[in-house]
Parts: sequence; structure tokens; C-alpha cells
Amino acid sequence: MGLRGQRAVTLSSGQAIRFLATLIGGSSVAFPAQWVRGIVMPAATGPDGFVTWAGMDYERTDLSARLKVISKGPSPDTRLILYGNEERSRSFEVDKVLGLLDVERALIHPLPPQFRGKERERLLGVFVDTSFIALIANPFWVLELPLRSQALEMFAVRFVEGMPEESASRLHLPVVALDEPVSMSMSHVSSSS
Amino acid sequence: MLRSQLHRRSQGTGAGATHARHQNMVVFSVAGKRLAARTEEIGGVLPWPGATPVPSETPHVTSLVRHEDSCLPVFDLAAKFSRTVREEESLCLIVKHVDGPLAICIDAQVPSLHVVPRSEVQYQSGLDPDIAGSCVAGDEQLPLINLATLGVASPRPA
Repeated sequence: MGLRGQRAVTLSSGQAIRFLATLIGGSSVAFPAQWVRGIVMPAATGPDGFVTWAGMDYERTDLSARLKVISKGPSPDTRLILYGNEERSRSFEVDKVLGLLDVERALIHPLPPQFRGKERERLLGVFVDTSFIALIANPFWVLELPLRSQALEMFAVRFVEGMPEESASRLHLPVVALDEPVSMSMSHVSSSS
Repeated sequence: MLRSQLHRRSQGTGAGATHARHQNMVVFSVAGKRLAARTEEIGGVLPWPGATPVPSETPHVTSLVRHEDSCLPVFDLAAKFSRTVREEESLCLIVKHVDGPLAICIDAQVPSLHVVPRSEVQYQSGLDPDIAGSCVAGDEQLPLINLATLGVASPRPA
């Protein structure tokens, strides 16, 4: 089992950020992938509301409610994302996992200034894929940690043209219970099995 | 002064005076509501590309549309006027907004250009800062909308 939908959004030399792209309600929401600890089925939630995985407890947070989007509800595509850093961990439900994307830093745009509300705390920016516009969730907001400026920069990694293996080997994402391969329309950077 | 130079000069002065006496307007409609806007505030008209919703607390700015290699915020002008636009039969009006390009979903009827005498434009500050006043374009009395500052004066969400 694996997350086979891994590809790049126009990678050349420069900095890139790896995202886990998901669907929540009608929106494509991308999360910096370095803090993704796992992807599990909703049934993995214990009676106390926690997901315990690899000896670590993940408290549930209702991200769709916090984002104020209406989730499509439980379906065979519904997954729980286990997300955390050294300070805090959370699990949250998404309607679908789209896959991993390596996005060149230059192709990530800040949220346009016409958005003037609290969404600026929740969303760090956007990037345009061939089939969707992805909203980048603020990982600090997701984990209910104090917000930081320039939060995306800490997730940027150097990418060298012609060496996608280097990028692929930087991040080892434990993925469980993702039964079907993720369909992708663009060329794969590499595929994990 | 040569006569030709004098003619050119008088032509130039005349054109300037004509320009000063007229305002170029674009007339379009949003969910059936007819509106006029100053031509210089409009960047173009495109087929509606379809919008991606954004969980936003900014009044009427709740989605993005793909534009060239990037995306533009969408101002929901129909919602501002408590109307609903049918996106599948729409055009995308690109606005030269003070905060950067902005998209508006307008009706499929292609906007029309009008040269409106200044005397037919009434500027007045009302309750709605997005409405500059009114004008008569093509025998219609129409609200004149401030596209370049759309939403700027809206109260910020708490």
C-alpha cells in the first residue's frame, strides 16, 4: 500500500515545498508534508477521540468546521491525516487525499490582498495545479500553535534539476490504509510502492 | 504659425476638450442588474473559468479563478446585490483594482461601450461606498460602480 500520487508542479532548480493535497468540502487544501505523520482510515479513531499511531496520540480537530467549510461527509475516500511536529500533534478528517506534490517556491502565491479577514491566518497562500487551485493551510494554525510570519519558508527545501530522487528521498511519509492509488494527471516525479 | 500647425493645435485642443466633456463607460449586467463602470477600471473580459471556493470571512470575496499562470480573487457582485448569478452562463470581468487584479462574474451578455457626456454623470456619495453615483448610458439611468475600490470600504470582519 502506498501513496502513489506523487508528482511535481513545474520543478526546475530552486526551492520547492512538498505538500499533501487533499479535498475538504469543495476546496483543495494543501498541507506542508513534512509534518504529515500518517494517513489512516476514520475507523482508526479510538473511543476517546484520539488516534494512536506508532506510540503517539493524535487529538482530533475538526478542520472543516474551523475552516468554515462544509465537509462532504463520510465516504470511502474519507481519510484522517495525522499531523504533528515536535511540539504538538493533531488528527483531522479530509474528504479525499489527492496526493503529494512538489511545488516550486516561485509558483506559490500569497493570498491576494483582497482577502482581508481571518482567512489570512488560516491560509498561507495558493498554487495552481493543472486541475485545481490549492489553498495552503497554515500548519501552525492547523496544530493550534502560535502563528509565525514566513511560516512557509521553514518547509522549503533545495531542489536540483534532474535529481528528483533527492527530493523523493528527503521525506519518508508513513502511509497506511490508503487502498487505492491516487489518480494524477501530471507526470510523476517518482512513485512509492 | 503655419495654418497646418494651427489646425493641428486646434484639433488637439478640441480632442482634449471632447475628452474632458465625456466619460467612457462600460455597461454590463450581474444577475440581471445593469451597471455602469469607468472604462479605465476594466482590464478585460474573458469566458468564466469557474471558481474555486475559499473559506473566507471577507465580505463577498469568497473564491478564486484561474488566470494565466496564477489566480485572481473573485468579488461576488451578485451577492452584494442579493442576487445569484448562473456561473455556467457567465463572463469574467477583470477589474483593475487598487489591491491588484480582481475578477467579477457577470452575465453572458457582452458588455457594451458608451461615451457618456459628463453632464449625464452624477457623482454622489451615498450609503454604499462602492456606488459612485449614476449615469445615463444608452437611454438608461444606471448605477455607476467604483470597480477599482470595490470592497475596500467594507467593514472588516471582527
